[in-house]
Amino acid sequence: MLPQLLVSGVANGMLYALIALSMTLVYRATTVLNFGHGDMAMAGAYAGLVFLGFGLPFVVAVPLALLLLFVLGFLVQRFLLRRIMQGPHLALATMALAVGYALRGVARLRWGNQVLNLPRPYPAGAFSIGSVVITTDAVVMCGSVLVLLGVLLLLFRASPLGRTIRAVFQTERGAALVGINVPLLHGMMWGAGAALGAAGGILLAMVVPLTPDMGEWVLVRGFAAMTLGGFGSLPGAVVGGVLLGVAEEVLGFYLNTVFINITAYVVTILVLMVRPRGLFGRRALIRV
Amino acid sequence: MAEAMLRASGLTAGYPGRRVLFGVDLEVRTGEVVALLGANGSGKSTLLNVLSGFVRPTGGSIRFGRAELAGAPPHRIFRHGIVQVSQARDLFPEMTTEENLRLGAIVRKGPIERLEAKVLARFPSLAEKRRHPVALLSGGEQQMVAIGRALMARPRLLLLDEPSGGLAPRLVRAIAAIIGALKAEGVTMVIVEQNITLALAVADHVLVLRDGRVAERHEPGNGADAEKIVRAIYL
Ligand SMILES: Nc1ncnc2c1ncn2[C@@H]1O[C@H](COP(=O)(O)OP(=O)(O)OP(=O)(O)O)[C@@H](O)[C@H]1O
Ligand SMILES: [Mg+2]
Repeated sequence: MLPQLLVSGVANGMLYALIALSMTLVYRATTVLNFGHGDMAMAGAYAGLVFLGFGLPFVVAVPLALLLLFVLGFLVQRFLLRRIMQGPHLALATMALAVGYALRGVARLRWGNQVLNLPRPYPAGAFSIGSVVITTDAVVMCGSVLVLLGVLLLLFRASPLGRTIRAVFQTERGAALVGINVPLLHGMMWGAGAALGAAGGILLAMVVPLTPDMGEWVLVRGFAAMTLGGFGSLPGAVVGGVLLGVAEEVLGFYLNTVFINITAYVVTILVLMVRPRGLFGRRALIRV
Repeated sequence: MAEAMLRASGLTAGYPGRRVLFGVDLEVRTGEVVALLGANGSGKSTLLNVLSGFVRPTGGSIRFGRAELAGAPPHRIFRHGIVQVSQARDLFPEMTTEENLRLGAIVRKGPIERLEAKVLARFPSLAEKRRHPVALLSGGEQQMVAIGRALMARPRLLLLDEPSGGLAPRLVRAIAAIIGALKAEGVTMVIVEQNITLALAVADHVLVLRDGRVAERHEPGNGADAEKIVRAIYL
């Protein structure tokens, strides 16, 4: 049974990794924990649905949805956060939360009592290797996230933009001293975070029902993965996400099925109590 | 006499609830070195930060060539060629010496190998620490990286905030030699210094700030003596 649980766990975990990574990018660039991130993922999924509804093919609708969320994230940073950037962190966190609630409100107005699905652009099915059943969903989930991670890694390690981002991560003032347009980069990182979150939302909405409240579920898992991996650590976000996905499956099977839903909370609480800096974190605590 | 490269006039600036600069005038001609002296808290760093865009002036103007830069953000001012070495240095701590230097040229296009070699040649002690994270370097070495990083941008006007601050005498001499060499090559600079000997050795003009105003102006070449300046600063 364990190999089977590992396979499903890793597939879910890759999704959590993507969510946690996109939250970490935003957090590292602007030190704001985006409490509205789950709702941005939800908005991305609905955007995909709308574009598909226009009759656009999947390969056009999804990039459009990601682009839309990039613009949304950029505008949120530019017009709602930038002017309060120097203020208390609580104000920033509250603003992010408010944006999330606003998105959720719009989704409820429009799709409140419907249960929808993003149609898969590939046949739903499964094959088995030995006794382990692997769904095409799991393959697509892992494959998409791995491709995104690869692209991000390449961008990060081997492009001028990546060096610019890493510079801002280390010291904003230092970055500004070498001529980097730090406010613009902040906006772009919010855009990139929202777009990556939207990619996660779209992947999720292909396998579970799409509802306006999906964001909560996403946020809790992203947050737990970040905490487990070590707040602010990019590799930590990925490892934390995968471990969380596996833990949900394993604990859910061997202990009690409620663990599928509460592992994220349990992990968050335990890590904060026992080892606040998580697996890869350097700073012991975060201040919101 | 050459036309002024930078002409700042009537600069006022401060922080929430606190005014710091009260109408400062400052001129820098191409190839000149201007030293800003003054007691702690007199507004030297604030003035430099106004020139580099890190502090928005509340009034006054900064003409740089044909451009008006007062109120422009740091990255725009940087693109005009005004590059600052800040008092806190603000290096990228987890990156190596080399990465820090290269980031100095991040917004430039084109190859930078020759420039990097030239900059490194100024700081022989950094050569063997190219691959060391700068957080592990000594204060003097970090200051050299900070100056080197600024030079990688090929500044038209270099702003140095206490380049000798907190360094041992041997290192102060090393930094002084580097600044002297830059001046000899014609690099235009505004230098904030507590070390009056160093300042007088390189400066064409000395401005003494007191409580956010220019209290005195001297020209070391014309026999302004250190003692008089010390009195102007501290008494
Ligand atoms: N970021 C800030 N916020 C609020 N007040 C500040 C800030 N930076 C400086 N000040 C205040 O402004 C005044 C001038 O500071 P500034 O740093 O310009 O002085 P300075 O001449 O560079 O001093 P030092 O020789 O200590 O570096 C000081 O009273 C200082 O406390
Ligand atoms: Mg100062």
